[in-house]
Amino acid sequence: MKESPWPRIGWRNLGRNRKRTVLTALGLGVGYFACVFVVGWSEGIMAELVENATSLVTGQIEIHDAEYRPDRSLYDTIGGREGADVEALLRAIDADEAVVAAAPRVYAGGLVSSGEATSAGMFLGVDPAREVALTRFLDPLVAGALPVAGRYELVIGEEMGRQLAVGVGDELVLVGSGADGSMANDLYTVAGIYRTGLVEFDASTVVMPIRDLQEFVVLAPDRIHEIAVATAEPDLATDAARRLSDVLDVPARPIVVASWAELNPVLAEYVALAQSFYWIIIVIVFAVAAFGIANTMLMATFERRREFAVMLALGSTPRAVVGIVLSEALAIGAVSLAGSAAFTFPLMVWLSNAPPSLEWLYGNVTLQGALLTPTLRVGYNVPAWTWASVGLLVTALLSALYPAARAARIPPADTLSGL
Amino acid sequence: MSGSRTFVAVLAVVAAAAQAPAPALAQTDALEIIDRVDRMLRGDSSHGTFTMEVVTENWDRSMTMEVWSLGTDYSLVRVQAPRREAGTATLKAEDDIWNYLPKVDRSIKIPASMMGGSWMGSHFTNDDLVKESRLIEDYDVEIAFEGDADGVAVWDFLLTPKPEVPVVWGSIEYRVRQGDYMPLWTKFYDEDGELARTMEHSAFTEMGGRLLPAVMDMYPADKPGERTTMRYEEIDFDIDVDPSFFSLRNLQGGRGRRR
Repeated sequence: MKESPWPRIGWRNLGRNRKRTVLTALGLGVGYFACVFVVGWSEGIMAELVENATSLVTGQIEIHDAEYRPDRSLYDTIGGREGADVEALLRAIDADEAVVAAAPRVYAGGLVSSGEATSAGMFLGVDPAREVALTRFLDPLVAGALPVAGRYELVIGEEMGRQLAVGVGDELVLVGSGADGSMANDLYTVAGIYRTGLVEFDASTVVMPIRDLQEFVVLAPDRIHEIAVATAEPDLATDAARRLSDVLDVPARPIVVASWAELNPVLAEYVALAQSFYWIIIVIVFAVAAFGIANTMLMATFERRREFAVMLALGSTPRAVVGIVLSEALAIGAVSLAGSAAFTFPLMVWLSNAPPSLEWLYGNVTLQGALLTPTLRVGYNVPAWTWASVGLLVTALLSALYPAARAARIPPADTLSGL
Repeated sequence: MSGSRTFVAVLAVVAAAAQAPAPALAQTDALEIIDRVDRMLRGDSSHGTFTMEVVTENWDRSMTMEVWSLGTDYSLVRVQAPRREAGTATLKAEDDIWNYLPKVDRSIKIPASMMGGSWMGSHFTNDDLVKESRLIEDYDVEIAFEGDADGVAVWDFLLTPKPEVPVVWGSIEYRVRQGDYMPLWTKFYDEDGELARTMEHSAFTEMGGRLLPAVMDMYPADKPGERTTMRYEEIDFDIDVDPSFFSLRNLQGGRGRRR
């Protein structure tokens, strides 16, 4: 079959009014850039939210006694009263391919007091060596050093230090209730100060060696509330949680292995919602662009109606005229796509590698318990970007349909007889 | 007045002088009755000892405490036994609550955010110590029932929060025996109208020259099988004590031990 000449003619026609071609291509190109940039920025925000929500303090997977959440009772330790072989559990967890770190934790609540000032506190017992491999909030510390077990040392958040007016080296009284009903209270020294940026957490959470906290609340060494697990990527957590759930064996009582998406469903839904919005963004941006392009194409065909009339008079079919106009539109789309992609993708790579600060625009934001720093960080979303490219070409074609139909219906005789 | 008030009455170890039974007048004003019960139970000041037994799903324990009180504003409670916690003390001075911890030799003021927390591991809260004197100001009181219940003539009072007043309870029911003005029970309901806890009074005996319920049980509705029981061992009323006694120095000192 003979190759159709229309694409070639369409392509050549682009040069006939270069200014208009450039403007039309810019209209599409800016729309394309807007889609890719907004989607990328949103991806960046979502990635940072999930990353901060999971890697700052909590980990991507948490393992608890089945009864532990949501009441977080002191007594609902993994394995219940009998406790659990914590070392064996950690070994089994570390063996999973997706796991990069795991750490045991004990939680308790009570009062933290210094001099006249007292506030409500959450006590978090950690294994400092394992914890720094798992989460980021203890490394680096704002001041001081990690607490050493057996020395009545602890680490507090910057906000708590401010509220209680204490710093490294100062003494704090902790008051709570022991698992045996006794009134737990003891004197500790602040060894270090951490900062997550989550103000509520920083104001309330006291971190100390796990064995010290177990002694404080009268729990045996094999009784822990949680094992927090970090996976290489947040996306791997759901599958890893399923595998761990099958592998881990606590005979005494059922345990629950939950990924961050289960523990923080609001965040997971928020991410899903943002992703579903990408489509809406693409549709809206190109719908706006489409009317601009339709207008330009309509003008262009109107200006050239004598040319189309001659073609029709010489025996070209209306279908051929439609073919020329659509070919032109497609060519503009292709030029526009090439140009804007050449501009957009290097920019995205640059933004991804060196996100500029947006501190002049807004400060730290806390969303769904996750910290969002003011940086213009972008993430890659290849499917959405591909759809934006398709959207650009489809927009170019769709917006040329009406002008093409108008051009094909030009009456040759009337048009040529002096109109 | 209401249950919590009686709690302080108990804490303050208050007893009422045996009063001549008053005629049950249908139109007797609710506030008047409650006020009378209160005065009978509290006295101006008191000094006594009581034991507190706390039973929970996970542990049981019993403590013996010594208590001083003055009016509704001041009270001081010091643990005598068990030995490990002897000297631990609570001072209530007007709206503030302080705890003294002999192990670390520090006094801690309970912050507002922790007033709903448990008092010494019991089913009473710090708020119970403070709010008791305010129930009559924070709640509207009406007589919901007057007549025979289980063969005893009683008044049932219904306390509902006054508009715009931030309160802990959605409503409170309070039963008083007409014959001798002894409180029988108090039921605390949450904002949704669900029963949150029940306080029962029993063992009506004469102590310190007054008739009073020597035993008070608190049952949390959401933890079946759990309770806190307070039992007066002895009590004296109208002792010689003034507000300066209820000081931080006395909270820490007295016979308290030091580390």
